[in-house]
Order: sequence, then C-alpha cells, then structure tokens
Amino acid sequence: MKKITFVLIVLMLISGFAFASGSSETAAPADSNTVKVGLLCIGDENDQGYTFNFIRGRDEATEMLKADGINVEWVTKYNIGEDATCTDANIEAAEEGCQIIINNSYGFEPFMLEVVDEYPEIEFISCTNCASAFDGRDNTHNAFANIYEGRYIAGVVAGMKLQQMIDEGKITPDQAIIGYVGAYSFAEVISGFTAYFLGARSVCPSVTMKVSFVGSWSDATAESDAALALADQGCVMISQHSDNTTPATAAQSRGVFHTGYNNDMTSIAPNASLISTRIDWGIYFYEAIKAYVNGEEIPQDWCKGMADGAVVMTPLNEAIAAPGTAEKIAEVEQGLADGSIQVFDTSTFTVKGEELTHAFALDTDGDFTADSEEAVYDGAFHESVFQSAPYFVEQIDGIEWLNAAY
Amino acid sequence: MGTETKTPFVRLAKRAEMAPRKIWLIRISSIIIALILGCIPIILTGNNPVSAYGVIIQGSLSRPIYVRQTIKIAVPLLGCALAIAPCFKMRFWNIGAEGQITMGAMVATYFALFWVDKVPHVPLLIIMFLTAAIAGGLWALIPAFFKAKWNTNETLFTLMMNYIAIGIVAWLQGGPWEGRKGSQLIPMFDKAARLPTVLGVHCGWIIVLVLVLLMYIYMNKTKQGYEIAVIGDSVNTARYAGMNVGWIIMRTMFISGAISGIVGFIIVSGANFTLYKGVANGVGFTSITVAWLSQLNSFAMIAISMMLGILEKGANTLQTKMQVPASIADIITGILLFCMLSSEFFINYRLIFRGRKEVKA
Repeated sequence: MKKITFVLIVLMLISGFAFASGSSETAAPADSNTVKVGLLCIGDENDQGYTFNFIRGRDEATEMLKADGINVEWVTKYNIGEDATCTDANIEAAEEGCQIIINNSYGFEPFMLEVVDEYPEIEFISCTNCASAFDGRDNTHNAFANIYEGRYIAGVVAGMKLQQMIDEGKITPDQAIIGYVGAYSFAEVISGFTAYFLGARSVCPSVTMKVSFVGSWSDATAESDAALALADQGCVMISQHSDNTTPATAAQSRGVFHTGYNNDMTSIAPNASLISTRIDWGIYFYEAIKAYVNGEEIPQDWCKGMADGAVVMTPLNEAIAAPGTAEKIAEVEQGLADGSIQVFDTSTFTVKGEELTHAFALDTDGDFTADSEEAVYDGAFHESVFQSAPYFVEQIDGIEWLNAAY
Repeated sequence: MGTETKTPFVRLAKRAEMAPRKIWLIRISSIIIALILGCIPIILTGNNPVSAYGVIIQGSLSRPIYVRQTIKIAVPLLGCALAIAPCFKMRFWNIGAEGQITMGAMVATYFALFWVDKVPHVPLLIIMFLTAAIAGGLWALIPAFFKAKWNTNETLFTLMMNYIAIGIVAWLQGGPWEGRKGSQLIPMFDKAARLPTVLGVHCGWIIVLVLVLLMYIYMNKTKQGYEIAVIGDSVNTARYAGMNVGWIIMRTMFISGAISGIVGFIIVSGANFTLYKGVANGVGFTSITVAWLSQLNSFAMIAISMMLGILEKGANTLQTKMQVPASIADIITGILLFCMLSSEFFINYRLIFRGRKEVKA
C-alpha cells in the first residue's frame, strides 16, 4: 500500500510538471511602452468605498496613460488580509511579471517589506503607510494625499448646514453636535476628524463633536450601529472615517444629515448625505507609472493635495445643502491652494485649554512615538509635510471621545 | 420464510475485506469524479477547465519559488494533522487545534518580542519552541481534564476554547503588544527570532518531518500508542485491562496540544514573522481532513498535506491569472475533499438496491 502511495505521488508530480510546461509562462511584457502593474486590494469594488476608490483611480490612470502612448496591464488581486497572505500576494504578483506592485492598505506594508529585497528590480508602493520612504531602499515607496483638506471642506459644508438649522430655529446653538464614526484611534483618523471639526467650526462657532470608534476599518453593521447611537445621543450631523456606506443610510433613517468619505453617497442617502471627499488615486498612479516608463525615479514619499487634484470633493447635494455652500467651497479651495487658509491654524483650537506650540512629526527610533521634526511653526500645525502619512494625534477641545480603539 | 417484509429501496451493508487493488480503484475514480465536478464552477465563470487545472498545477509546482510557497502551506497542515491523529485514534474529538496553535504562537511571540535582546539566536528559538509546546499542551489539557473528571463533551469544549485563544490574541494585537498606536499590528520579529531557512524554506519542514517519524513510532511501537488504540476501540476493554483512561486522555491531549503549539511556533517564527488573531488561518480545521484522508497514517499525511498545499497555492494563482473569485477555488477544493472522503465510505460500505439478488460475499 505504501508503495502505491509512493507511485501515486510520483505520478502526481510528473503530471504536474507536464501540465506546467504545457501552459505558457507569463513574464514582463517585452514592449517598452507596456508596463505591468500589480494592485493588491484589501477589499473589492463592492465595498463602494475604499477599494472601489482605488479601482476608479486605476481605470482613470489607465486612460490618462493611454493618451500618452503607455499601455498598462493590470494584475489586480482582491480581498487580501493584513497578514501573511499579503506577503504571498506580493510574491505572486512579482512572479507574474509585475514591474510595479501597489499595496492599497496601511497594514500591508510590513508584509510587503518582507518581500522587497528578493525583487530589487521591482518597484513596491505602500499607500497610506510610512516606513517605505525612510527604509533606505530605492525600490520601496509611500504615497498618500492631503485628505485633511477635503475633510476640512466637508466640515465647512456640514457647518453651514448646522448654522442654517440654528438660524431657522430648528435647533439651538448648543444642539449643533456632530457625530463622527471612526475606525480606530489612529493618527490618520484623528487628523481627519480634527480637520473636519475645524472646518465646521469655522462657519458654525457653537458646534461640538462626539467621536465613536468601531474598532474596524470595515464592519458595515458596527458602523451603522455607531451612527445610530450617535444620532440617538443628539448628533444632528454624521460623518465617518470607515469603509462602508452604512453610516449614510443610518443618518437618513434617523432624519439627520451626513457627509461621507471615499465615494459619493448621495444616491444611497439622498435626504441625508450632503457631500463626500475622496482621494483621486489616478493622479498618483499616472505620475508614478509615467516616471517608471520614462526611466525616472518614482518619488520615495509622494503627497499632493487639492491644488493638484489628488483630493477631490464629490458633487454637492444642492437639494439639501445650505444656500451659498457651493460658493463657500470654491472660496475655501482657493484659500487652501494659496495658503491663506491653514487647516490646523493653531489660533483656531486649543489642547487642554492651551494653544498648541509644540508637536513632533516623525518617529525615528522605532518606538512608535514621534520624536523629531517640529510640526508647529508659522502659526499652524503642518500636516503631511515631513511624511505623507498623517501624524496629527492631539485631542483638541470641543471634540469628545466616547471611546477609544487602538 | 413466509412473512414478507417491505425492504427499503436502498440499504447499506458493511463490506468485508476488499482487495487493495479495488480500494485504490475506488479512490482514484473518486478523484476523477471530483475533477469532473470541479469543471462546473470553472465553466460557470466562463473559463476553460483544462487550462484552469493547468494553472493550478503550474502555479504551485512550476518554479522553485512556487514549490517553496506550496511547502510553506503544507508544513503547518502536516504538523497539525500529526497533532490531531492520536486524539482521533482515541475517539477524542479534538477540534481545538486552532486554539492550541494560536496559544503556542502567542507564547512564542512573547519571547520573540521581549527576550530578543537578552538571549542569542539559537537559544531564543529553543526557548520559543519549548514554551510554545508547553502552552499548546496546557491549553489542550483543560478540556481533557474536564472530560476525564466529569465527562464533559470534548467537541464543544475544544471548539469554544478556540475562540478564547483567538480573542486573547485580538486583544494583544490592539492593546499591549501593538506597534504604532491604532495600527492593529504587532511589530515584525527581529532576525534573531526567525527560523533559519534550509533549501529555501524555513526549517519548520525538517521539524515536522521528524515529528512524522516520531509520531509513527509512538503510535505503532510504544505501549502508550497501544493504549490509545485500545481506548479508541473500546473504553470498557481498556478499563477492564486496568488502564487509567482519564490519565491517558489527559496525557494524549497534552501531547496533541504540544505539537499544535509547535506548529504555532513554526508559523510565527518561520512564515509570518508576526502574530495576529488569524494566525492559525483554519489550519486546525483543515488538518482534520488531512488526518482523516490519510486514515491517521503519518506517512500518508505528507502526501495529503502536499496535495492540499498544491490546491491552495494553485488556487491563488488561478485567481491572479484568470481573475476568478477566490471562492471558486475554495469550491473546487471542497468538491475534491468531499469526493475523497466519501470514497472511504464506499470502501467500507456497499449499497444494496431493492429487488436485486443479494450475493454472498
């Protein structure tokens, strides 16, 4: 019997190699104007949020590059975990002949970095994380966009709506409470909701905010529950930093308003969702792939904002937004572009009752606490200047943390 | 004679001994049937089944790196099947290997994170190995103790213990062991806490191959292995022969858990280099299939775990190359395993249809 097992194994291996040699091998395309790019995603398009936004950026960049005579052959892999399966997916994409491999989720980076030394000729990109830029390797890169600018404007839209409700006597000034559904108590999230809050307060001085963390980047039910709970606690405006559209539908079901992230949510919640902001990844993909084809360096740490189209607002829901909102958006966009508006202007907020005069941006010794590069200067906290990934972690006055999820 | 009883349309009868040639005929035809059934989901996604199977084989074996990746998948499956085997032989349904792996991985991670400055490379790995084994063993001992003392249901007990272990790791991941705040990631292990590679794959494969040999000897050549077999056949016989059944259950479960714990150590130190709540990744359950398919034979487990490794790695490539959803590949794997397991049923039983004359075997 053991003999038979042995024979079977041998047969299996032989047939395996026969099959394998029969199928055609794929390698990097020979044509110098064709580039093969891997895109590894944490979800798939059906999330209508985070990964959907990357796919949209992918398709947009493909069109833009085609106009320049560059063909992109994409290898897209979906539903990869922030675990060792990500290491395997990177190996898989590299062996498929990808010349550039883009990892779309923050938690992919440490697993991606396990692979990069095996493939020095392949360019690896980790979106939204921060270790690749400073690891001394030439073939690893980071990228992010100044999403806090978009959040600030979304905040302005929300603030104008709240002020309108106050002026019309629908709520009292101290009832102007925003409820924010956050994923984790993480720098990217803290930076985002602080920018949002400051945007709202710039047009509605009495506003306050409650933040509820759900402890997951993508948990449709938990996000919905958190939004419902916030509405029940008196929040009349909901916003979110999480991957699903359920906070929008929850807001609509409670008759309160909403602003979104990653995707236009006005079709899902037409009576609640005012506007969303998203990163346009197409801008970055276009620049990075174009640089690669031209034999130039892909930037080690790429970060651009609204002025370059890397952060965009989705169409405003004119039917429910406060009058004059569109004009105000244009005005603030202009202010952000010419530098006359600083999102984290230190004269507009306090931390424990005092003005913020000092905060470090970078962690250089690996203990995960920032220890170098002063971010506060010229009267503002400068976000995403020293690295593309956000580093604002202060808890400012006016924002109440209902819980924390690290 | 005389009284006519209505016979059911189909009856089952236990088969007598069967010729090995016939047994293998059944097994091989079950694989062929599985391959044919597996074509259905592939055709439904609009692909050519022959090239799809080609991609699976090619993606798992056609390049040295693919073979290494395949072995990396097979190693924990093999190790864990070895761990489960003595329990199943004893008819103690340990479905808690998932949790035992997780506990072993967790304790190994503790030493990898906090002892790395204090202890040099090899001693550190030995400490991780031993403590992971003890942790897995103790975790398995809890349900065994309750079974021996109060005859609790071990299936439910071991299953529930999985979720507790996974929950503890989830807490560590977002709490005390978290790297950057809010990231939910435990930092990667230092080089000193990683298993060295031999022939391109972490040396965990050597550890499990040694375990194959040891487990074979333990089950077939030792008194303890014999005791396990007797309990599996009849607990009362074991009692009558003067065996302390409770003690043997606890001892066997400790060994089983210890091996699972070692598998956990191999996974974190050899393949993942970090700990997260999905560290066992279903291995504790899939290895049950490996153990059954190989009929608890240690050497057969090598082949079966390799086969599952090929399927899993190939499915990954199938997803990359043909853009089929990952779940289609899972369906094919499921069909194959189902057919192979049911072939064992037809080896042990035969169907007798109504009206057909019974032939005395």
